[in-house]
Amino acid sequence: MQTKYLRFPEALAVAMALACLLVLALHPVGAQRHSGTDTYAITNARIVTVSGPVIEQGTVIIRDGLIAAVGAGITPPPDARIIDGTGLTVYPGIIDASSTLGIPRPSPSPTAGGGGGGGGGFAALFGQNAPSATSPNSTQLPGMQPEILASDIIRPGGTEIEAARNAGITTAQTAPRGNVFLGQSAVINLAGDTPQQMIVRSPVALYIGLAPIGGGQYPGSLMGVFSSVKQALLDARRYREANEIYERNPRGLKRPGQDKSLAALLPVLAGRMPVAMQAEREREVDRALDLAREFNIKLIINGGLEADHVAARLKAMNVPVLLSLNFPKRTAAASPEAEPETLRVLRERVEAPKTAGRLAAAGVRFAFQSGGMTSITDYLTNAAKAVEGGLSHDDAVRALTLGPAEILGVASQLGSIEVGKIANLTITRGDILDRTRRITNVFIDGRPVELRPAATERGAGRPAAPPTPTPEPNDY
Amino acid sequence: MKKLLSLAFLVIMAGGIASAQPRSAAVQNTLIRNATVLTVSHGTLTNTDVLIRNGKIAGIGKGLKAPEGARLIDATGKFVLPGIVDAHSHTMMDGGVNECTRSVTSMARVQDILNPTAIGIYRELAGGTTSALLLHGSCNSIGGLSSTVKLKWGHTAADFPFPGAMPGIKFALGENPKRTNQNNPGVPARYPATRMGVEETIRDAFARARDYKRDWDDYRAAIARGEKNVAPPRRDLELDPLVEVLEGKRYVHSHCYRADEILMLIGVADDFGFKIRTFQHVLEGYKVATEIARHGAGASTFADFWGYKMEAYDAIPYNSAIMVRHGIVVSVNSDSDETARRLNIEAAKMIRFGGLTEEEALKLVTLNPAIQLGIDRRVGTIDLDKDADLAIWSAHPLSVYAHVEQTFIDGELLFDRQADLARRPQLEAERKTLEAADANKPPAQGGGPPRAPSAIRRANAHEDDNQEREDNQR
Repeated sequence: MQTKYLRFPEALAVAMALACLLVLALHPVGAQRHSGTDTYAITNARIVTVSGPVIEQGTVIIRDGLIAAVGAGITPPPDARIIDGTGLTVYPGIIDASSTLGIPRPSPSPTAGGGGGGGGGFAALFGQNAPSATSPNSTQLPGMQPEILASDIIRPGGTEIEAARNAGITTAQTAPRGNVFLGQSAVINLAGDTPQQMIVRSPVALYIGLAPIGGGQYPGSLMGVFSSVKQALLDARRYREANEIYERNPRGLKRPGQDKSLAALLPVLAGRMPVAMQAEREREVDRALDLAREFNIKLIINGGLEADHVAARLKAMNVPVLLSLNFPKRTAAASPEAEPETLRVLRERVEAPKTAGRLAAAGVRFAFQSGGMTSITDYLTNAAKAVEGGLSHDDAVRALTLGPAEILGVASQLGSIEVGKIANLTITRGDILDRTRRITNVFIDGRPVELRPAATERGAGRPAAPPTPTPEPNDY
Repeated sequence: MKKLLSLAFLVIMAGGIASAQPRSAAVQNTLIRNATVLTVSHGTLTNTDVLIRNGKIAGIGKGLKAPEGARLIDATGKFVLPGIVDAHSHTMMDGGVNECTRSVTSMARVQDILNPTAIGIYRELAGGTTSALLLHGSCNSIGGLSSTVKLKWGHTAADFPFPGAMPGIKFALGENPKRTNQNNPGVPARYPATRMGVEETIRDAFARARDYKRDWDDYRAAIARGEKNVAPPRRDLELDPLVEVLEGKRYVHSHCYRADEILMLIGVADDFGFKIRTFQHVLEGYKVATEIARHGAGASTFADFWGYKMEAYDAIPYNSAIMVRHGIVVSVNSDSDETARRLNIEAAKMIRFGGLTEEEALKLVTLNPAIQLGIDRRVGTIDLDKDADLAIWSAHPLSVYAHVEQTFIDGELLFDRQADLARRPQLEAERKTLEAADANKPPAQGGGPPRAPSAIRRANAHEDDNQEREDNQR
């Protein structure tokens, strides 16, 4: 469209051309830009569609961000840029089913916890006003605010997102950090210059954590965490009821106070929004299931280290698991003086990679997630360990792609290589679960992403870098 | 020394495997033959058999016939004692025993945080303890809701709560709720700061509970009259349990030390028309035993543990005996995962201090705590049709030389000393295999500091005034 303006006939007055240029300069780039260069064809590749059979030698056509065609014997359109996929395998873009990608780390502010605005000083000092995970005019303390939306606070770019892309991850569910009510998650694509470009779906799930607020603020214990969650859900029920009564006939009734924290829980009570609850061990999963049953909540288990112990109950209640690939491992240095580690700890580390296979065998729906791992390059490596631990190869690939897409409600857009879906692709030389595989290309929203394998470590404690557009050859 | 340590460690961890074993649906019947049975309710029976059928005590007598398929145990020279009941425990609690942030935390529930894999459970079974009152800590004037449990090691948390047990709530008086000995940097001071404030906090809470109850009563009456457009009062998890206390549907177990504060709480309870079920610790109970008895409260105390803070100085080991002689239902408790393994010895001390009879001493850790928790219809004595919660001891349990051979709950064998000993080589072999696995190898370079001995709990860690306890999930 824009190039058309520039090719306008010479009859156009100079002044008008200038005006047009001015409009162009003010017009935000990005949202609608596309041209013939947005068409790609990956030819002669092995295509793991996930939704259907593997195509041993075929072509994927990408146009305008979507998968336009897939199959054997497809002729690339003349305007497509050809990527020779000989010896390569094309997978649906890998999904990290639970992360904090794009969520700014809380800035150390002396006023944090006091409600309102939050982290001013530190962020201002560094010239960037990081969106703080504090909801203005909330009735609840920070850490207890279900109304916080990941989509309101995510920032594009940054080393963690880049590292995830380099590891072959194209999409993630991302949730705010916090204590008890963390807020509502979003599914984002890991490319885009603005938050709006990244978001695929929002809100997705309400995140509930188990970390007490502490520092003298309620709740200060795990007991208190459960009590505060239950009280909030009860209050939300009453809030709904009081508003319904008031709306039927406000005359003569005191109006119920507005409360956006309680309002944010209404979709959860109505079963429209699932709750992703942190639960690693058997008893934690049991507690989450008990809570879900008590309040008739649609539950997703987040973590799931021992979810296989509760497989029958998970299956019976149709609760899926976002299974962490951040397997426990020994981090303590060797020392002859040290206390021996308990058998329980030793067992847990050896058993962790076997959970996925057992969940699959029991018919529990699950998807892999990164679980806060320090090095995201372990993501596929540990998925391979799950295969060594008894998960079938196909189930593992599914748990990296279509599995999470289904659980997160984006299966019509993502998770498999099918015509009409978003063109997120992870392309490898070698099988994706083979230790020697190399990620050669990543497409997000139909555009290739530059991979920099050196920058694989997630930044630790660093503030997110300002948004940097991904440089692309022949862009614009 | 190292070998000794690792052996001790194996003992500690031996229980781990039990949870991995499959749980059999039907519990095997058992006939214990030719034991000395300390019934607690009706004396000592020598050369007596005890039949356990379907989890209940189905026979006590001589020459009982074993049902088909029953486990036969020759208990010649051994003693059968009812399962010990610990009326003050903080075992198997995840994520802190105290919700310390407020003066009234009756919304907090121990039942929400039960950890059925806590190793303390297994150790307590090894000491013949089968039931416990799991109490919230003593951080607040009105604390959280307690949970009465059977220590059903190897089961999931859902199997632990004692069926039909009366619900309870923790209160606390004196130095702990007024935070005398707590000055944590970064944590703002919390009301109350005096004993006066503790009383006011409790009175205020019950005044609020009374208003709350009236609001609900009014609402229900309005609905019953057919009124429309009435919004219900807010359901308040803090006040619900206090209403239950007012209605006599929930027991109050109050931490206390000094005579004056004991009298204060009796006064508050009288004013609001509820009862204190037990005074816990109650080290100065001997000074006000008449008043405690008149109120009808029980007392659950330490055998001979005092002087660990100002309000615990004026204590005497004759406390239990004096209160018993005043007609109070007295129990001796552990308040500690360590002491909970040897409550039989705590009971024995009360023969030395105050001259209780053997049966009176045994009652301190069996029938009396069962009465205090409202579970004496099910446990606490060896009587027909009671739950088969009992232990077989190698010698008279009031002897320091006695140890537990086997412990049963609901007829299920949950601790077996011989099986434990037999399992140890197998566990050592498993350890070797596990340690060789990649995930258990120390990092090639760097790595965090090694596991410190302090991670093991101190031997004499009483929970009385510990704000936080170590996470015992590992």
